[in-house]
Amino acid sequence: MKHVTPTEVTSEARVKGPTRRALAKLQTRNKVLAAARKLFSEHGYEGATIRDIAAAAGMSTGAVFANFTDKSDLFRDIMVSDLTKLNGEIREAVSRARGVEDAILKVFATGYAFYRTQMPLARAAFSVSWAPEDGELFHKMEPLAEVQQIILEQLTLGVERGELSQEAEVKLRAQMLWEAYLANYRHAIYGGWTPEALQARARDQIRVILAGARRG
Amino acid sequence: MSGAGLRQSQKAATRQRVLAAACDLFARQGYEAATVRQIANLAGVSVGSVFTCFASKAEILSEVMKDRLDELYAELDRVVPCLRGSTAERLRSMFAIHFAFEQRHIQLFLAHLAAAYDWTLGPGATPYGRNRRFQELILDCLNRGVAEGDVDPGADLLGVVDLLRAAYAWTYRLAAWENAAVDQLVDAMDQQIGLIATGFRPR
Repeated sequence: MKHVTPTEVTSEARVKGPTRRALAKLQTRNKVLAAARKLFSEHGYEGATIRDIAAAAGMSTGAVFANFTDKSDLFRDIMVSDLTKLNGEIREAVSRARGVEDAILKVFATGYAFYRTQMPLARAAFSVSWAPEDGELFHKMEPLAEVQQIILEQLTLGVERGELSQEAEVKLRAQMLWEAYLANYRHAIYGGWTPEALQARARDQIRVILAGARRG
Repeated sequence: MSGAGLRQSQKAATRQRVLAAACDLFARQGYEAATVRQIANLAGVSVGSVFTCFASKAEILSEVMKDRLDELYAELDRVVPCLRGSTAERLRSMFAIHFAFEQRHIQLFLAHLAAAYDWTLGPGATPYGRNRRFQELILDCLNRGVAEGDVDPGADLLGVVDLLRAAYAWTYRLAAWENAAVDQLVDAMDQQIGLIATGFRPR
């Protein structure tokens, strides 16, 4: 059996450059993603159909299915690319933090600022996240696990630096911080809270969650 | 019975049938997958008559939940004044009552959570997170703690309510994904309450 390893593929591509067909495929894919992003933002996850997305992209539903297995795959693709970008910003912000509380606040604030202009998409994502089947798939997306990992790392660093006690239950605290971070989006989606207002609320909540873990 | 009276009672009967059918469907399929057409079929009424009683699917679900939650809050109204102990202990009892009440309807509760972000929410719907009684109940408990001296009067109580609410919703995921039994949910919530309580104690 002949296996094509990823290295072979890349080296081949480097020699010949992407073929015209590959470029056309990439363009189609990007058109579908742009149309889907718009429709999910306007009509929510359930309200946007593959048929409408195809029409908005100016192509057949067959062309959409050539690129994505189903709507849930398409939606996750959008979320993964956004969240991967956001995680880069979060890591950058956290590297400038002064202390554990500030680091966690920077995680929250970077997320709220990132989604400020795309709250409808965030709303669609929350709706999917609670759905019986798609919900679990959604939560297992790599970039979501990564933010939770960043929060956990920051708490662990806090323990190592002696800001938090050795007995701080970092796992439970990290999970609760993550829940609090997500739950606050509700105020932005329905209450029109600004990122600044969310940040002020988050600062108090982070203090409450970390209070018992502080040394001394 | 007059014509108008008959119409009223027919409408009330339709309403009850729709609510029963919806309760069943939402619990089985989740909120997003259940359609108004399916609800109508199961209730044995036309889609049109569903819409004479309810403005949207979201409104149907919030009526289903409201009927059920009225029962829960009636129980809490009786029990809460009798609760003793620290604020953390009283919160633990209150949430344990919530979990015990929802234990056979976990899927329905998850549907209720999913609907909070639905696009078609009308003004008649009360999704999770906008239930005043839930918020007031927790806030009353915290205020009593302030009066009794085990809650810091300077604490951001609404922020604490949100933390508890987030923890409560999150705990349902244990049921959805890991098939956790009700006592595991209660344990998970107790732990989170304990941790939040160390954050709102007077310093």
